[in-house]
Amino acid sequence: MFEQEKARLVLVCQNVDCLARGADKIIRALEERLSGEEGVEVKPYMCFGACQDGPNVVVYPDRAFYSHVQLADVDDIANHAKGGPAVQRLEEGVDPSLKALIFELLDAGLV
Amino acid sequence: MERILLTSEAGPERFADYERQGGYTAWRRAVTEGRPEQVLAEIVASGLRGRGGAAFPVGKKWQIAAETPAEHKYVVCNGGEDEPGSRKDRFLLENYPHKVLEGLLLAAYAVGAHEAILYVNHQYQQAQAALEQALAEARAAGYIGPRACGSDFAIAVRLHAAPSTYVAGEDSAAVNSIEGQPAKPRQKPPYPATAGIHGRPTVVNNVETLANVPAIVRRGAAWFRSIGTTNSPGTMLFTVLEGVKRPGIYELPFGTPLRYLYEACAGGLADDRPLKAILPGGPSSGFLTPDALDLPLDYQAFREAGSALGCGVMTFYPEGTDMVDVVLQIAEFFARESCGQCPKCQFETQQLLRILQLVKAGKATRAALAMVDKVIEQSRGQGWCSLINMPGPPLTSALRLFPEDFARYLTNGGSPAAR
Repeated sequence: MFEQEKARLVLVCQNVDCLARGADKIIRALEERLSGEEGVEVKPYMCFGACQDGPNVVVYPDRAFYSHVQLADVDDIANHAKGGPAVQRLEEGVDPSLKALIFELLDAGLV
Repeated sequence: MERILLTSEAGPERFADYERQGGYTAWRRAVTEGRPEQVLAEIVASGLRGRGGAAFPVGKKWQIAAETPAEHKYVVCNGGEDEPGSRKDRFLLENYPHKVLEGLLLAAYAVGAHEAILYVNHQYQQAQAALEQALAEARAAGYIGPRACGSDFAIAVRLHAAPSTYVAGEDSAAVNSIEGQPAKPRQKPPYPATAGIHGRPTVVNNVETLANVPAIVRRGAAWFRSIGTTNSPGTMLFTVLEGVKRPGIYELPFGTPLRYLYEACAGGLADDRPLKAILPGGPSSGFLTPDALDLPLDYQAFREAGSALGCGVMTFYPEGTDMVDVVLQIAEFFARESCGQCPKCQFETQQLLRILQLVKAGKATRAALAMVDKVIEQSRGQGWCSLINMPGPPLTSALRLFPEDFARYLTNGGSPAAR
């Protein structure tokens, strides 16, 4: 009845393609920056279907879909996860209909 | 009922038996007295369609390869069979290797190929041994070689072991494997018939398809068309999986009612349990309900009924089967076998699996289940091979035909819903 305050999720794609583009380093760096951070959880995600734009990171429920993420972007993403501003420069490029589908999937509990 | 393929009553068909029954006469006559166009014309006129699952007109594929100018061409017998439960190609290779080989030789002659490759699942050891022996016998008899049957037509045949993965059976994956690359599908076009092995025209035909060819060339297209239906001439091998009284491989003319296969051949379900669902064409076909038993076994009839004959692997499910378990298993198969080249295919197969795992665990809401259609829609046709279109039909048909099987697992966000 009373919805719990949801933790902020930082989902990092760990599928073949994103991994080949360095998504393993990205998730480790994000885990490092955000370890012990109250209300923030870094989680691997199976696939966002945007491999050509990887590595992909989604911050949820903020509906931020970050693509072409590099190690240099990790600080800004971590800052967003802690309540800072979204990283606009990483939000371009992903097909809007795919983006909408991904958020719909997450809204439906497929996290 | 007349049989074209399973003609031996006593075990594997040996070389001498095959020759005695007219084996290799089509080959000898074609290569010594005939012309390639005659063989091609006979196959075109026969209406033979591919038996690997896609049912593409064989004559059309041959015509494309024959008409594509090239110094070298190839023909490939596709025995990369790895569909769950399917074993008809292995059965043919083990028991009728000469029939398949003669079909391959005729294909080579018709399209002007001088190299033929038997591409066979590496786990099919017995089939490979049977083919090795058949090749040795055919070479010794002069059917294969630089002057086949004393003619001026040169033909070399070799075996190539196919990896045991589902996509390795896709024709362009076979081409890649034969070239020494990973057995993964290529982006198409070009199709192998115009640019296959080393960019040269390559005909890739399923084992069962080729096994039909010698009889068609020997006895004529009109004879072949006297069996089966207008749209689906000839016979087809149906593999009825465990669960029935007599599982096995049955050869039936197209047009035979499904009921005949189910009742007369397979004997119905074990313990006479009532029938709940039919999966008539392997894991990529749509489910049907028992009223489909009166459908004729025919490509078109099954397509119109919202399903497909595929490569003829039939499963009959008794009342009491939980269809969620069945579709979960199918989703696991496609997620495992998606080769990883196409983003949308990985995305689709893994999301569908995840949704079904949540359903089974009692953690999916109706909204989560409703995402199935959107995930399938987002992916349709977005891959290099047809695997991306395969997970949809079984899942959407199960949701449509057996909604109550799913409903009992759904949650409204709290505890699992009551039945």
